[in-house]
Amino acid sequence: MQKYISQQNLTTLLDTLIKQGTRVVAPHMNAGVPLYEPIQSAADMATGQLPRRSAKEAFFPVCEDIMSYEKEGQRISLKDIDPARFPETVLVGVRPCDAAAIPVLDEVFSWDYKDEFFLERRKKTTIIGLACTAADDACFCTAVGLFPGETKGSDLFLTPLEDGGYACESYSDKGETLINGNKELFAEPTKTKALSLAEPQTEKIDLKKVKSWLDEHFEDPLWDGIATRCVGCGACAFVCPACHCFDIVDEGTEKAGKRRKSWDACGFWKFTHHASGHNPRDLQPKRYRNRIMHKFKYYDDKFGQTLCTGCGRCVRVCPVGIDIASIVEEISKK
Amino acid sequence: MTEPIDTSIYSAVTAAIQTEAQRILAAGLVTAIVGYAASRRNGSTQPIIVTDAAAAEKLIFTPASVNNLALYLTKAKKEIPKKGKIGIVVKGCDLKAIVGLMGEAQLKRNDLYLIGVPCAGVLASTVQPSTALTADTIASKCTECDARLPSDCDYVPNVQLPTQPQLAGKYAVEIARLEALTPAERWAYWKEQFAKCIKCYACRQVCPFCFCEQCLCDRNKPQMVDTTPRPAGNTAWHIVRAMHLAGRCAGCAECERVCPMDIPLNLLNRKMAKELKELYDYEAGFEVNDKGPLTTYTDKDDQSFIK
Repeated sequence: MQKYISQQNLTTLLDTLIKQGTRVVAPHMNAGVPLYEPIQSAADMATGQLPRRSAKEAFFPVCEDIMSYEKEGQRISLKDIDPARFPETVLVGVRPCDAAAIPVLDEVFSWDYKDEFFLERRKKTTIIGLACTAADDACFCTAVGLFPGETKGSDLFLTPLEDGGYACESYSDKGETLINGNKELFAEPTKTKALSLAEPQTEKIDLKKVKSWLDEHFEDPLWDGIATRCVGCGACAFVCPACHCFDIVDEGTEKAGKRRKSWDACGFWKFTHHASGHNPRDLQPKRYRNRIMHKFKYYDDKFGQTLCTGCGRCVRVCPVGIDIASIVEEISKK
Repeated sequence: MTEPIDTSIYSAVTAAIQTEAQRILAAGLVTAIVGYAASRRNGSTQPIIVTDAAAAEKLIFTPASVNNLALYLTKAKKEIPKKGKIGIVVKGCDLKAIVGLMGEAQLKRNDLYLIGVPCAGVLASTVQPSTALTADTIASKCTECDARLPSDCDYVPNVQLPTQPQLAGKYAVEIARLEALTPAERWAYWKEQFAKCIKCYACRQVCPFCFCEQCLCDRNKPQMVDTTPRPAGNTAWHIVRAMHLAGRCAGCAECERVCPMDIPLNLLNRKMAKELKELYDYEAGFEVNDKGPLTTYTDKDDQSFIK
């Protein structure tokens, strides 16, 4: 279904949803950093910059409680978190590189174990993607087969037009429902020109070739060459729209506490540190190799998808300038 | 109007680094050189470890040569073989960290070949690497730099440092602002900042002084600091770190540069440095001291806290 929505009506739509009790999550400035966060008014939405962290946290928060315990004398009581209490959500202003990662994450969170925390939020969320009109030279969505107008993952997709409004197209029942429930705010498509889309300066990489090289080169001098400089922090994984590893810890006192799930990263030495003291990934190049292997081989082996959407965040935040796009490009030329 | 900063010497510095690197590698004076090389993004650099004289031509120095490479000399980076003498490209601020590490018996002067860089400043982390260096785009630490010319190096390119425009010290201004707040307001400020922390530990991983074989915060028997990115654990983590670095931090500001959430971490370190200066007349410099201000006691030490 193709429609038009003016800037004013988009504001009205979001404010109406907020008033009705829907959680609206949008790019928003928090202490100087743009993040996808719940907003209290459409005026709080700030789509000018790519949020520092991806939209995955709308489904997979940085940290969440998954259970709580209390101990009184000999009596221990455990309490589950009820996912039914997760609110209906509209996630709006999502960049194509972020939206495209969400169906990729669906695969792993609904595979052998159904992660109800992720899936329940996913079920209750409508995603409104926004075409990307500004790229920098860290962006490389075009290298991994996507583009600034990519609609993958979006229930509704907005393309900014020259008059400040948006061309609006729905790609799912959720998208249709949102339009049908707010018919008066949507008009028929117009002939107004769309703003020009961003133009990331990267050539498409042959990901099949990359994968077939990775299939054969678990051991290769390349890893030592590119990854000795890796300092072993989690910045790349934490800002990534597709990285999804997490840790589970109990925090609290003897009397009461919570079991919590929070983001983890394969760059940390502790990630594969066994209770025995042995660490199969004892040096940083082995950890960095896992990052590349997981994104461009293992995930493809298992789910037929690439675990990278070219948002460029890891390139921007890496303390030592490691550039995954140039590494994958180098592999594709081998 | 943004005042430009003259970095024209950097092309001569680059040429000199390449020539010297090639010479010392070819002569076998060093086994490896840690320096900066260009990377894909326009104007960007990344650390490189060169072991072959033919690859010395990859070494560059630009306003985007932001890293403190001293990190690669510590035992925290087991991947870098520490055999023989290692050459390293250092700015004055980086050299202070090396000096500190020598004082802590982590490095030996004789194992290093120091290639000092006369430095006009580097870029702030908030701008694109291709940005021109100006009074607005320069890293905060450079506005308070007293070490543009590293001393006691094995080699320093023979170039004349251009006169610098007078820059307002960004940390001094911000510390004064925070000191003027009430404790409650200051607490509110840091609570908001620490709330952004995602526990990626980039601050720890780039710090030359965070060379502990196992960080207190990575231990779980007992669990000293909550590991999850929540207010309690975040606050504890950043305060533990600031205290552990007091009297050691050399002011390279790498922690602040790499924070993906823009937490002004170096403010904590500058505040501690200010206290150390006031209480013990100590500041990080180019002189190796094997006794730090907080690891020694003299009867002249401030005792006003005993009440």
